[in-house]
Amino acid sequence: MKTLSILRSGAVGLATLAATSFNSMALAQDVALQYWVYSDFAQGDALAMQEEFVKEFTASHPGVTIEIVGKGDDDLTAGQVAGAASGTLPDVFMNSQSVGAQLVEVGALANIYEKWMAMPAEYRAQFDESALNACMPRPSELYCLPYTGFGSLLFRNLTVLEKAGIDPTPPTTWDEWLGQMKKIKEAGFYAVPDQTAVFNSIAEIYATTGSADSWGFNWDTKTTKIDPANMTKVLAKFVELVPLNSGTSRNDQATKDLFISDQLAFHTIGPWVNPTYAEAAKASGLKYDFVLIPGDTAGKTGGIRSYEMVGVAPGPNADVAFEFAAFLTEKAQMARWAKLLSRYNANAAAMADPDVSALPLIRVSVDAAHGAMDVAAPYFIGSVPSCYNSTVIDIASATADGEYTPEAGAAEMITKLNECLAE
Amino acid sequence: MSLRRHLPHYMMIAPFMVLFAAFFLYPIISGFFYSFHDWNGARPPEYVGVANYTKILHSRDFATAMGNLAVYIAITVPLGILVALGLALLVDSFTGRWANFFRNAYFMPVVLPAFLAATIWRWIYAPNFGLLNVALGWFGLGSINFLNNSSTMLYSLIAVDVWVSAGFNMVILLAGLKNIPTELYEAARLDGANKWQQIVHITVPMLAPVLFFVVTYSLISAMQVFDKPWLLTGSSFTSYGGRRNALLFPVMDMMGRAFGGVKFGEAAAYGFLLTLAIVTVTALMFALRSWSARK
Repeated sequence: MKTLSILRSGAVGLATLAATSFNSMALAQDVALQYWVYSDFAQGDALAMQEEFVKEFTASHPGVTIEIVGKGDDDLTAGQVAGAASGTLPDVFMNSQSVGAQLVEVGALANIYEKWMAMPAEYRAQFDESALNACMPRPSELYCLPYTGFGSLLFRNLTVLEKAGIDPTPPTTWDEWLGQMKKIKEAGFYAVPDQTAVFNSIAEIYATTGSADSWGFNWDTKTTKIDPANMTKVLAKFVELVPLNSGTSRNDQATKDLFISDQLAFHTIGPWVNPTYAEAAKASGLKYDFVLIPGDTAGKTGGIRSYEMVGVAPGPNADVAFEFAAFLTEKAQMARWAKLLSRYNANAAAMADPDVSALPLIRVSVDAAHGAMDVAAPYFIGSVPSCYNSTVIDIASATADGEYTPEAGAAEMITKLNECLAE
Repeated sequence: MSLRRHLPHYMMIAPFMVLFAAFFLYPIISGFFYSFHDWNGARPPEYVGVANYTKILHSRDFATAMGNLAVYIAITVPLGILVALGLALLVDSFTGRWANFFRNAYFMPVVLPAFLAATIWRWIYAPNFGLLNVALGWFGLGSINFLNNSSTMLYSLIAVDVWVSAGFNMVILLAGLKNIPTELYEAARLDGANKWQQIVHITVPMLAPVLFFVVTYSLISAMQVFDKPWLLTGSSFTSYGGRRNALLFPVMDMMGRAFGGVKFGEAAAYGFLLTLAIVTVTALMFALRSWSARK
């Protein structure tokens, strides 16, 4: 009787084990993650490395398959917003922190705080604190893992500087830099692109005077945090830059072409232009370097910083999707990613890796990101209405064109921005 | 009996009808439903009556977008068709390899991806050193910031649009020209008609059905203008329309509300207002054509 009982228990145990194994196997086989990345990361060496990451992750997670889909900036946002509405969200995806509020609002981003807190402290300590804080609009709410990022840099054409008789030592203050720009113009070159043409270049110059404390939004009162005194100084800078600029925006292909063809001295932008300039250095002998954007006083730097993020969609695959996101943003992968692309990222431990920090672009980028101003913080709280950026651009351009004095321009800008946010 | 007799016919049109219902009819009906709701895609839609419509009709951006669109249509449609007709007549006057060469050359912008066309034109329009400003400099004129000066931006877009659309319209008009019997021109020549008189009294009247199609198609396309102004102004969902919204158009505004502001209800209402405008214009075109035919 006892033997029969043992046999019966054994059979039940085996059956349960078999059923459990079968279940977990079936579950594992069913997990097919869709992973959306920026289109630049879905081609060439970057794609090969992303595929390598996927291969490593799936090797340790049998039954999980991951499909990489590359999309342009606007397509990522549109696809994620539409996917949230139609229930066809990708499981893991990249995007910019600056569209985080829209994605939270439509339910595209899972709050991963609990999963994050369940990770080992060693893992959590790897990230840049400010980058991580940007993903946390409130305590107990974490909507992303910060990924690649940038702090704007001042790319300098050394041939133009030499022809204008300028000492190539990097300028340490705005006045010193402005003096160099005037000499460059006198020598018959363009000093900078039109810094009023796009929102980010206006923010870059604002940061030379102000800081994150006086930039961005106060979502509680629905008002801008821009300080009128700082903006007045910045608008005065734009007026001074009018005769010195090329008329093209920092993002225009024409700006890069002017820089490559030794007609433009300075280009304030993120590190993504470096591959183009490095190629031009090889192909046509372009001589250039990249330094920090000088602020009003020695030691202060201008420029903006922003991070791309990895987000996880809510849903049945959220656990394994988070595991994959955590794997992607872990030091070992981020260090390899940084070395491949020479791109700064939010994993501070990876940035401190000797092989990574030895790369010149990353070394400067780390300093640039630390001294720069968040471009549209705080993130993940409210969607910035389109009238906000347009108002900043319109009034900065109009002031540069002489339609307002800097004081009147700053006052008008702040009034209109508050109206825009209130709407 | 009748159903059994026509069953094969129904079966034959069924695939189209199913796809039409799924991908055309259903989105239209659901869009109409959402246009009366406040919906961000995540929360359940909340009925708001005609609030989305009134909000759009009273918004400053809608007025700007419609104003820009009116000027854009008033210039780009007639100008685009005139240029296309001129090119079609030019190509028609050639034979053999030259005809092929010009037809392909003028059609090239149509097949060019929009982002590439925009990049080329941003270079041409670049202040100080852009091709157009260099040319203006030869005549002693100062540099113009074509894409950042609110008084020139719309005309800069129209030039790009005419450049792109002329090739497509040219091919349609060229097909129409080939169908005009040569005997009519021979008879006109014998009667002493010059080239201009032949165009006015033979070519244009004989091309009327084709011209009607080209005008209607151009109007509908112009009302939906999106990619070229979006790319020329370097727009994104958080900032679009260029300086002082000089290149803000209804579809851009609608997309911005949907994906920048996550207001799908408002965007759906915008889409219906735009559809209503397109249907009205198209109906007017057909009415005008019928009236003209009766006359």
